[in-house]
Amino acid sequence: MAELAADSAAIEGLYQELRELFERELADARDPEHLKKLRDRWLGRKNGLLSFTNDHWLKPASREWKPLVGKLQNSLKSAVEKAIQEAEAARAQPVRSEPAVDVTLPGPPRIIGARHPIRIVQEDIESIFGSMGYSIAEGPEIESDYYNFEALNFPENHPARDAMDTIFLTDHALLRTHTSPNQVRIMERQPPPLRYLVPGKVYRNDAPDASHSPMFHQVEGFAVDENITFCDLKGTLEHFLKQFFGSNIRTRFRPSFFPFTEPSAEVDISCHVCGGAGCRVCKQSGFIEVLGCGMIDPAVYRYVGYDPERYSGFAFGMGLDRIAMLKYGINDIQLFFQGDVRFLRQFR
Amino acid sequence: MRIVLSWLAEYIDVKESPRDLAQALTMAGIAVESVSEELGETIFERDITANRPDAMNHLGVARELAAIFGRQIRKPEIHLREDARPAAACASIAIAAPDLCPRYVGRVAVDVKVGPSPDWMRQRLELCGVRSINNVADITNYVLLEAGHPTHAFDLDTLEGAKIIVRRAEAGERLITLDGVERALLPEHLVIADARRPVALAGIMGGAETEISGRTRNVLIESAWFEPASIRKTARHFGMHTEASHRFERGADIEATTWAAARIAALLQQLASATVLKGAIDAYPAPRQRSAILLRAAAVMRYLGIEIAAVEIESILCSLGFRVERLDGAWQVTPPPARLDVEREIDVIEEIARIYGYERFPARLPAWAGRAEITDDSRKQRQMRDVARALGYDETISLSFLSRSEAAQFGAWEPVAVRNPLSELQSVMRNSAVPGLLRAVEWNLNRGQTDVRLFEIGRLYRQEGSEFAELPVMGLVATGRARPASLNDPGKLYDFFEMKADVAKLLDLFGWKNLYFDRETGAGYYHPGRSARAVADGYAAGRFGELSPEVAAERKLRQPVWLAEICLDRLFRLPLREPRFRPLPRVPAVDRDFSLLLPEGTRFEDIVAAVGAREHLVRLEPVEIFRGGQAPPGKMSLLLRAVWQRDDASLTDEEVNQYAREILDALRKLGAEQRA
Repeated sequence: MAELAADSAAIEGLYQELRELFERELADARDPEHLKKLRDRWLGRKNGLLSFTNDHWLKPASREWKPLVGKLQNSLKSAVEKAIQEAEAARAQPVRSEPAVDVTLPGPPRIIGARHPIRIVQEDIESIFGSMGYSIAEGPEIESDYYNFEALNFPENHPARDAMDTIFLTDHALLRTHTSPNQVRIMERQPPPLRYLVPGKVYRNDAPDASHSPMFHQVEGFAVDENITFCDLKGTLEHFLKQFFGSNIRTRFRPSFFPFTEPSAEVDISCHVCGGAGCRVCKQSGFIEVLGCGMIDPAVYRYVGYDPERYSGFAFGMGLDRIAMLKYGINDIQLFFQGDVRFLRQFR
Repeated sequence: MRIVLSWLAEYIDVKESPRDLAQALTMAGIAVESVSEELGETIFERDITANRPDAMNHLGVARELAAIFGRQIRKPEIHLREDARPAAACASIAIAAPDLCPRYVGRVAVDVKVGPSPDWMRQRLELCGVRSINNVADITNYVLLEAGHPTHAFDLDTLEGAKIIVRRAEAGERLITLDGVERALLPEHLVIADARRPVALAGIMGGAETEISGRTRNVLIESAWFEPASIRKTARHFGMHTEASHRFERGADIEATTWAAARIAALLQQLASATVLKGAIDAYPAPRQRSAILLRAAAVMRYLGIEIAAVEIESILCSLGFRVERLDGAWQVTPPPARLDVEREIDVIEEIARIYGYERFPARLPAWAGRAEITDDSRKQRQMRDVARALGYDETISLSFLSRSEAAQFGAWEPVAVRNPLSELQSVMRNSAVPGLLRAVEWNLNRGQTDVRLFEIGRLYRQEGSEFAELPVMGLVATGRARPASLNDPGKLYDFFEMKADVAKLLDLFGWKNLYFDRETGAGYYHPGRSARAVADGYAAGRFGELSPEVAAERKLRQPVWLAEICLDRLFRLPLREPRFRPLPRVPAVDRDFSLLLPEGTRFEDIVAAVGAREHLVRLEPVEIFRGGQAPPGKMSLLLRAVWQRDDASLTDEEVNQYAREILDALRKLGAEQRA
């Protein structure tokens, strides 16, 4: 027993020596770098001192010594772990007292390019009509007299053509003055029922100024089916306008004239600036014109071979540039086509 | 056109305020643009659609108000005391072109005292924007503004043979019109002639030689009806647009001719002490009958979507002056002669809807059994836009026009010319996306914006025989910094590889099998050493690079500009790349760096080709390239990284060493040596 006791004292001594060694080294480890070394030296998984004692002292110990060695090993290990942790925490303290970053300084710029305002408006319109079952299509910008005028019931030498000062390329080819030719092009290809939306560029021989450009954008929409009525036209456009401009706007349909629709209407919305009281933007009328529409004239069906006694439909068209100008308060149409980044970046 | 409220009130009782009146007219399709006060009078400024010439006068507007409010109009009364001498004895009228002039009514007034008009008439004319000339001319203009029928007054004594012949002009004939311009006439032009020569351009403008003057004593009043298309063609030929042509080309009222002539005669009697000869000379070889229109109640319902009571339909139509005869479930409807725009059932339905009031129709959403489609091309375009924006490019839109010199410098084909261009800068349709982008860069640089990245998706135009092609194209332009300066970071300038990376990212949207880059841009406006072409599956998908310094200097661009052009018609034949899931590797990849000396001019593509496809090799990437310094002349130094990845197990050191040796062996064939 004495021997055993002596041996136990020897074993405890060994662990005591280790503990003292650790405490000296801990006292010397003043900065995080030394602490990390200390941690590796003592607690390293493969080559750490405590792994060594675990493998070479504890594992080979005989059964009667194992509980004692195990107890000493564990107590030293937890003491070392605790001490290093505390030391790390203590050394870490000064970091918190470093001056805080100036959170009001800007981060580096993150650049996502801007959608063109005309495109924003176009895509918004497409998604509203898309959810009502409208397909999106495109058509040629270089058109024939037939599609741009004749099949839309603009007879030759008719003053209705005056409203659209046309840019000609040859005797037979012109730049489309509106997106409406696509009504005819699509109806020619396809029987009813149809719902289409056709955005695109259009051209008129207008000298550029704040509200005119020889090139601008329109979107044409139309629906043809059995039993489509003037009430459906009103409902569809009212729904669209409230979705687009906000549910608090009021709409107004007033009779107008387009050769390819009858009855025709122009649609106004209550002025978004003054709310309808009358201001400069709405020329004191309280209303702003946003689109033209109507029931497709039966004369158009003749050109595409539809039976006007069976089918009816409506069509509408609006200027995307104009809508974008209204929506964002843009005062000069030329801004759309200059590529001025100071303008475009406002839409990022 | 302008409407004077007090004048209008002569023909109808007006109880509403001017603003309410304007509103009621607007909501019935007679748009009133503005209401103003002038010389103590209320003026309506109107914008009249081409289909309503009948409403381009005070009486016409009164008729509309009568329909809207259910009131009666008062037509001006004509108090005419005719002389016993018949007019037909003093003048004759012959229509030689009844296809272009179906009716010509003449009246003769003698002993006319030409002088100024009374103040009330002058003021009304001026309020309507018509200059006062003398009482005779003023009376014809007054009646035009009053009732809408254009007329003309000739000095009868200047008409050779006191004859009116309505005929086509003869080749070589000339006429000096009232505006002092001598006009060369063609056989398709309709003229009013006397026995010897043309004296007026029919329906457009009178002639100077037969004009009313201070010496005029006897007057022939013309009140005729001309074929609209012919008037329009002739007016456009001469670049003329008059109050008369404006109305005739839209369609006047053939039955108003006799009334207008009598009204003018009465006013000449009243205001110019004229003696009016007996009767009108009415040349009307084939009187026109307006045929009745069948209006079906079912059609009204089918177009308008609501049932409107039969009595309401009848009352609307009657108030507009239609003759209405009720049948079983339908009506026979005859429009008033002034309403040339009403010819078909749908035209009558529009009249009903308009006066019934658009605001009274309920809003409904139609049922729908069709399907909505988005085209592949629009999906592709949208994705390209999204990627370009993510890459930091702002979207721009340039005009589709170029100047001839721009088209010649940047386009690959003869551009489509504009026949009536607004200016030289817009004289052809664009055959390249580049000039528009360069104009935008110039615009920005001139305004102190030096970091610019723009993209545009649009079309180029090309004539192919008698057809035209519109080719979709994407253009990009970049100048200045790719990464903007920020705190402690000067940023990074745009360079070739920035543009290459942007183009590659855009092309990556598509499912090509093979993509390579070479230097064959085929366009002289690129810097020859800093430009490339991208070839996807054998087709040139695009080209990009630095704008050549010569072109930049010509355009006074003070900093390098980078361009890219992507042909979307080619690219869009490829499908969008569909993501495809692969199981995630369970072990990390292993990499090795090779420090190599290579002969100058070795291309990265040669290195990739020399290494070739190898088992578990997933990537070869250049880490660093430098020349000079430790690299001897004729050599370049490349730090190359190879990355291996095995999906099912870790690679051992021995395996990786073996792979690395094999790669080095392969590169030695290019003359590569490993640096110490």
